[in-house]
Amino acid sequence: MTELGAEDLVGGVPSLGSPNVPTLAPEGGEVQVLASGWRLATREFLSNRLAVVGLGILVFFVLACFLGPLFYHTNQTISNPLVTDGAPGATHLLGTDDNGFDELGRIMAGGQTALEIGFFAALMATVIGTLYGALAGLVGGIVDGVLMRLVDILLSIPLLFIVLVLATRYSATVLSQSLIIGLFSWLVPSRLVRGEVLTLRVRDFVVAARIMGSSQRRLIVRHLIPNALSVVIVNITFLIADSILLIAYLGFLGFGLTFPTASWGDMLGNAQQAVESGYWWLVYPVGICLVLVVMACNLVGDALRDAFDVRLRRR
Amino acid sequence: MTGMGTTGVLEVTNLSTQIRLSRSVVEAVGNVDFAIGAGETLGLVGESGCGKSMTGLSLIRLLPNGGHIVGGSIKLRGLELVDLAEDDLRAVRGNEIAIIFQDSQSSLNPTMPIGRQVAEPVRLHRGVSKSEARERALEVLELVGLPHPRERLDDFPHQLSGGLRQRVMIAIALACEPKVLVADEPTTALDVTIQAQILALLDDLEERLGMATLLITHDMGVVAGRTDRINVMYAGRIVETAKTERIFAGMRHPYTQALLGSIPSLDQDRSKALYTIPGLPPDLAPPPPGCRFAARCPRATEQCQVEEPPLTGEDADHLFACWHPVDGPVERSVTIPHATATNGRAEGDRLLQVNGAVREFPVTAGVILRRQVDSVKAVSGISVEVGSGETLGLVGESGCGKTTLGKLVVGAEKPDAGTVELAGKRVFDLRRGALRRARRDLQMMFQDPYSSLDPRMRVHAILREPLQIQRVGTRREQDEKITNVMREVGLPLTALERYPHEFSGGQRQRIGLARALMLDPQVIVADEPVSALDVSIRSQILNLMRRLQVERGTASIVISHDLAVVRYLSDRIGVMYLGKLVELGSSDDVYHHPAHPYTEALIAAIPVPDPTVEKHKGAVAIRGDLPSPRNPPSGCRFRTRCPRAQELCAQVEPLLRPFGPGHVAACHFPLQEPVGTAEPEAAHGSAG
Amino acid sequence: MTGYIVRRCIAAVIIALGVAAVVYLLLNFTGGSPAAAALGNHYNKITAALWNKQHGYDKPLVVQIVDYVWNAIHLNFGYSYKQGQSVAALLNEDAGRTAYLSGAALVLALLIAMPLGIAQAVKRNSIGDYVATGVAFTLYSMPAFFLGLILIQFLALDLHVFPAFVGDNVTTTWQAVTHPLEMALPIVTLAALTVASFSRYMRSSALDALAQDYIRLARAKGLRERAVLTRHLLRNASLPMITLVGLSIPGLLAGNIITESLFNYPGLGLLFYDALQNLDYPILLAYTLIGGILTVTGNLIADIAVAVADPRIRLD
Repeated sequence: MTELGAEDLVGGVPSLGSPNVPTLAPEGGEVQVLASGWRLATREFLSNRLAVVGLGILVFFVLACFLGPLFYHTNQTISNPLVTDGAPGATHLLGTDDNGFDELGRIMAGGQTALEIGFFAALMATVIGTLYGALAGLVGGIVDGVLMRLVDILLSIPLLFIVLVLATRYSATVLSQSLIIGLFSWLVPSRLVRGEVLTLRVRDFVVAARIMGSSQRRLIVRHLIPNALSVVIVNITFLIADSILLIAYLGFLGFGLTFPTASWGDMLGNAQQAVESGYWWLVYPVGICLVLVVMACNLVGDALRDAFDVRLRRR
Repeated sequence: MTGMGTTGVLEVTNLSTQIRLSRSVVEAVGNVDFAIGAGETLGLVGESGCGKSMTGLSLIRLLPNGGHIVGGSIKLRGLELVDLAEDDLRAVRGNEIAIIFQDSQSSLNPTMPIGRQVAEPVRLHRGVSKSEARERALEVLELVGLPHPRERLDDFPHQLSGGLRQRVMIAIALACEPKVLVADEPTTALDVTIQAQILALLDDLEERLGMATLLITHDMGVVAGRTDRINVMYAGRIVETAKTERIFAGMRHPYTQALLGSIPSLDQDRSKALYTIPGLPPDLAPPPPGCRFAARCPRATEQCQVEEPPLTGEDADHLFACWHPVDGPVERSVTIPHATATNGRAEGDRLLQVNGAVREFPVTAGVILRRQVDSVKAVSGISVEVGSGETLGLVGESGCGKTTLGKLVVGAEKPDAGTVELAGKRVFDLRRGALRRARRDLQMMFQDPYSSLDPRMRVHAILREPLQIQRVGTRREQDEKITNVMREVGLPLTALERYPHEFSGGQRQRIGLARALMLDPQVIVADEPVSALDVSIRSQILNLMRRLQVERGTASIVISHDLAVVRYLSDRIGVMYLGKLVELGSSDDVYHHPAHPYTEALIAAIPVPDPTVEKHKGAVAIRGDLPSPRNPPSGCRFRTRCPRAQELCAQVEPLLRPFGPGHVAACHFPLQEPVGTAEPEAAHGSAG
Repeated sequence: MTGYIVRRCIAAVIIALGVAAVVYLLLNFTGGSPAAAALGNHYNKITAALWNKQHGYDKPLVVQIVDYVWNAIHLNFGYSYKQGQSVAALLNEDAGRTAYLSGAALVLALLIAMPLGIAQAVKRNSIGDYVATGVAFTLYSMPAFFLGLILIQFLALDLHVFPAFVGDNVTTTWQAVTHPLEMALPIVTLAALTVASFSRYMRSSALDALAQDYIRLARAKGLRERAVLTRHLLRNASLPMITLVGLSIPGLLAGNIITESLFNYPGLGLLFYDALQNLDYPILLAYTLIGGILTVTGNLIADIAVAVADPRIRLD
């Protein structure tokens, strides 16, 4: 907190309100100097130790998966029948899999695709969901009714079912898996954004802008979007977590990416046999990586939500 | 150090309570002493955050998380409660000390019938059977005036109105005939007419049951008529204590003086400014050294900054903690320049005209295509005018439609019928650009200082927005304008770079007012401009609004449930009831010579911060609850609660009739004879 | 309340019909023709046209959907060409076992999550709360099969407490009920994930309720903490859980696919898994539709249950 200097204060206005007080302070009192909204949210976020840990985990995995292969060269394209299912050792730190690929290198490569799919799917779901939800919330009436019933319908069909059935029909690439997941996970964000738009629309500051003569476009651009943004941002992290879990399920059920590309999910496709054969290095390292990344996303999301909430709820 | 003369049922000495937060410790209550005798009522008065509720909760050790008593003693008829074992304390709670909370909506269990909620403490403390407890519940519910209690035992809280729920909460508290009753803001959430009913009930019960009562409130009016003694609390300390009459007539602490001086009274001289306390209460984590009021006190000296004054006085009956005590109430001496008591309105001056405005909110049902099943009649055919430079006040209880009417005026709502004309033009029939330009002249100030400013915009952007929307001036001119308006509303220019969350409630209201002023409107609608603020901040804003009225000569409509606020700011007052205007006239006419029984009752229900007036008030004027605005009564809408209602009132809706120049009221049996027009046969039955 | 229930039922029927239409469109026309899948090697233009005519795929889309829904209402979901049996018969055979697995897991999850969530809320920020939150968070972030694999590794392969998969001696629902040892791991796996989300939700719901004044008033009446919790907190904090149970059905169904294929438990999930490998579209279509209908029904029942349990809705 900094003190306000006398030159900042308003002089010359007779301070009617406090007749027996020398008019040094502005009538309205001084302003407690705090950080800006975003900075305050950042501070709140950083003060949450778990969130920092989560963020650290995410940063670590992004760096390790994308930069790691530059330092740890492995062959991930041509299978080598001579070294299949090798236990961890000096040449292969985490052993080799049933195709003879180095497991650590594969975790890095698989992490790249998993993170990419998670990110693209979440991004697509967010864009579609935000536009759809905003449209429903802003137009209202019958349009809103029809749009939201459609969301109800789609939400009633278990996501994994749709994704699995579609996965039987399309060749599995990073792009196609992102598309399939993204195209069917926008429902929750659309509901969130619609709800946010509906509550924002009747908030006094939006009413005030309307009374000033603000156009609909200005209302949306200046007030609704910036205020709905925090909900959307928080949801992205949860969407990434859910998408990564979903590709893990796809991989486990045998609908992974086309050989030799792989994601963490695909690497767990043969996990059952690996466990039974005692090849633990083919199951636990990659499984733990997956759990850590998903958990980190959830932690960051939770903390972001709290941070944004704190900011709006202050005082 | 009780010095009460009577032996207290409850004696509190040197009580200190702290609340541990994650990063700091708040000293919520510090060294508090008081005693209450049987049948006695002690008022504990202070602004929000002064520790008054924490004191109440400390008595039964029900502090919020992190809160604990760090020292002192609480004796209930000699029994020490501070270190009493939890099991033994439970036998005291609800049995010997009972508590009433402010919010009856959240204080009653929504999934349990009220009969069981009342019977619960009886079963617990008296060990009686289920049916005996039920009988007792019935008895208490009857005692607190719940109509038809037998049929209502199995009702759930949401089926009752706010006033009835509060009665149920009182019944729960009284079920075991406690020795001590703690009433924590028991009427703050209620409308004035209901508040008057509940206060009268509490008063009556205290006397009949001989309880010692601790009445916690922020409202000096509420304590004036209902207490024997008053403790004034500030920043966790008791700063003054004395008999009620004595504290009102001869207070010694500057804070008490300021608190009373800053309340606009109903017969306030409008040309005089209200007394105000500058600044905000201190942060108690940790509390400042010296006198805690020093930073806001006009009499503060160096001594006050460093040395905390003890609670002493010339005689034991009147104690105060101040190095430089005052003597009695403040003289309101500061005159607002150029302000006359009332601004007369020139005949035929009709800047703003609302003609027969109707607004009904549909109540819908349906799966996909919502169909309308009913409607809330918010505004049912209201016509009013405002002259240039004039201020019209609108009063009424919640649900009377005053806010909706205000929103119709500024075009935030569209009327279902009727028109709004500004200088003879129907502004909201205009289109696009013309409509946008017309909106400049009609601006609004909102009630809730937390929701009326966009949390993601800096003050600078908030104030620039109206100019940008209206495309007024260059950037330079806009900046100049912003600077000027900031000066006018008394905010430092450093505030421009800050976000709304960095301001206090009062400062936010100033920003809201500044935003409304940016376009130099002809009419400003202020919807409950001060009801979310503490007393000391409230007077700052009222003074500011009053000064700007005089300086700018802007016409305005002030909407409030608080007649004193409306009267201080307005030249004329309109009284609303269930979507209808029931009386309209000059402030003096409406206040001194009301024609409508509702107006009279409304005035009578307002607690006056003066024990001599308040203690001699007669019985409660209005009984019962506000009917549903979905289904208002036929004829005169007030008839269901009116002491003068007759058959005619149910059949014919009364029209507005004149009772003097500019004074009209809609009543078949008014409190005075109408003038001018031919006498309708109704006037025959009038007692006036 | 009758009006409310009627409205909810109508809405549910509309949504269910929508689900049927969307599922049909999605699965039949998002690439590849059903004829190609059914005919396999015999697929060519002529056989496809014939097959389409024979199975009504030449009719307008709307008619096809209406036909499909009409048949589905009569529990006729077509014919599995791969398994040479009617889909309804296949489903019927496995439904009981899946219902047992899901039901047992759901009940177990609720029995653990509700007391745990309340205990965590009451003792918030204690070590126990942190540990429980940490475990729940980890489980919540874990794919079901990974948890299952860990359980298999330790409890079956290392310690030999439970069998690693459901053996051939469990083929009927009754056998599933009478072989708790074989069923322990699948049920625990399925329940654990549900416990994670339920307990987190229960905790926050109980925290909300604890902050209400009626809890404070209950304490001010002199009630014991235990009575405050059972009489005032439990019911109010559990109301939102009813909705959550309704909403958890899609997750349970998905969990069934994973758990059943992991433990080789002969239920609908395994049937679906096999159908995926064999591209047996009539089964995929039918079970997806049933999954959707179950979800809609679950939500409807939850809505009605909330209305019955909450006087604010019941008496409106």
